[in-house]
Amino acid sequence: MFRSLVFAFAALLLLGSNTFAAEKILVASNPTWPPMEFLDGQKNIIGYDADFIKAVAKEAGLEVEMRETAWDGIFAGLAGGSYQLVASAVTITEERKKAYEFTKPYYEVQQVVVSRKGTHFPDFASLKGKLLGGQIGTTGIFVAEKAKSGATIREYDDAGLAMQDLTNGRIDAVICDSPVALYYANKKEGFSDKLQVSFRTTGDEFYGFVAQKGNTKLIERLNKGIDAVRAKGIEKELMKKWLE
Amino acid sequence: MVPERVAKAEKKDWAFINAWSLSLFGAIAALFTLCTLWPEPYLDVLSFLPDGLFVTFEVTVLSISCAVPLGLLTGLGRISKNRAINLLASTYVEIIRGIPLLVQIFYIYYALAKFLQVSGLTSAVIAISFCYGAYMGEVFRAGIMAISKGQSEAARSLGFNRFQTMFYVILPQAWRTILPPVGNECIAMLKDTSLVSVMAMPDLMQRGRSFAAKTYLYFETYTIIALIYLIITLLLSKGVSFMETRLNYYDKRK
Repeated sequence: MFRSLVFAFAALLLLGSNTFAAEKILVASNPTWPPMEFLDGQKNIIGYDADFIKAVAKEAGLEVEMRETAWDGIFAGLAGGSYQLVASAVTITEERKKAYEFTKPYYEVQQVVVSRKGTHFPDFASLKGKLLGGQIGTTGIFVAEKAKSGATIREYDDAGLAMQDLTNGRIDAVICDSPVALYYANKKEGFSDKLQVSFRTTGDEFYGFVAQKGNTKLIERLNKGIDAVRAKGIEKELMKKWLE
Repeated sequence: MVPERVAKAEKKDWAFINAWSLSLFGAIAALFTLCTLWPEPYLDVLSFLPDGLFVTFEVTVLSISCAVPLGLLTGLGRISKNRAINLLASTYVEIIRGIPLLVQIFYIYYALAKFLQVSGLTSAVIAISFCYGAYMGEVFRAGIMAISKGQSEAARSLGFNRFQTMFYVILPQAWRTILPPVGNECIAMLKDTSLVSVMAMPDLMQRGRSFAAKTYLYFETYTIIALIYLIITLLLSKGVSFMETRLNYYDKRK
């Protein structure tokens, strides 16, 4: 009897000490979007978003565990409660706002169309009858559909496969977020010598972190965290590290 | 990938209520009910899909028409007494059977693009028919070997050459054993065409995926997709069992 009481007490202590430690949240990311998020040689998710959410969470008194997820289905997993947050270069859109909670914007992007060196497209109209690739379910695809350029849109599982097919010559252009487009066109080995930026769309987009509908508590904490990260100058450091 | 058993009508269950009709009419009723009661998401999903359905059919029909002859050739190769041909056919079966179809699709479309670039449709048809050709080769081999040796001996003694024996005597009989499993393979093939969406082919599955990704209506979209695949495969399985009944004509007279 005494022994079981001691055990119960010890268990309570353990539980208690856990609540004092930083609360852990599971964060989903689709690491096919360099330099925002991608895998290093040891299969860790690295990139601007990964570093930024870790810094934000630290300021908010949270601990982050990254979870690798396919983009196609990343929101379904969030709605189903497999993780509490998505930090994966998610553009804040009206449609997404209806279904999920967003933090305040943390990064601004445009949509950029990339083509092979030597074939330049000045605008959407010039893509008429061409094959335009992108990643399934991304704002690039939505923007391209709205533009009604007459281009045939090919939806790939991730942007890297689309870029691969572009360098192979199977499609004429790829549309995706500016950091990714610039990374492939200017930085990434094996791609940057073959690809160029054709044009940027005018509409600005903002990235936000996404939580389940109704989880405003987490959003508030993260918003404060974002403010703190900015005030401390961590944001500038991270931009310098990943985006220049 | 594992060939499933098709719910086929047997002689005694001519009654209306059987597994096949229950599934088919259940699926059609479910589709109809969803679309009339909640046209808002469900009819929208449905109207987004027809061109995807066309691509799925296109890939399936082309793959079947390549895989069946390939399977026949492989089956003949596997029983060939010519050592080189036998070895070639057997190696082909062993290799293809050991690699998942999804990997084959990635390999042909993305990996081989380094040397040779083929379109999405061609890659899909090559990958699927090579894969299923290997499986069907085994079916053809088993079917041919099930015909008693006396048949070919009799044919040869009547002066048929080996080619004639195979095509006029053995194969017409073997076809009855071969058809049901080949039908199963075709149905499995139709379902496996959903893998081609990884090559950015706008098939039924990918149409659904991009609709779901746009609207976040995962439940509604994949319910409709599942029902459509179910209806198509049920119709196909009915076609196979109909052909089977026609071929079993001689069995019935016994």
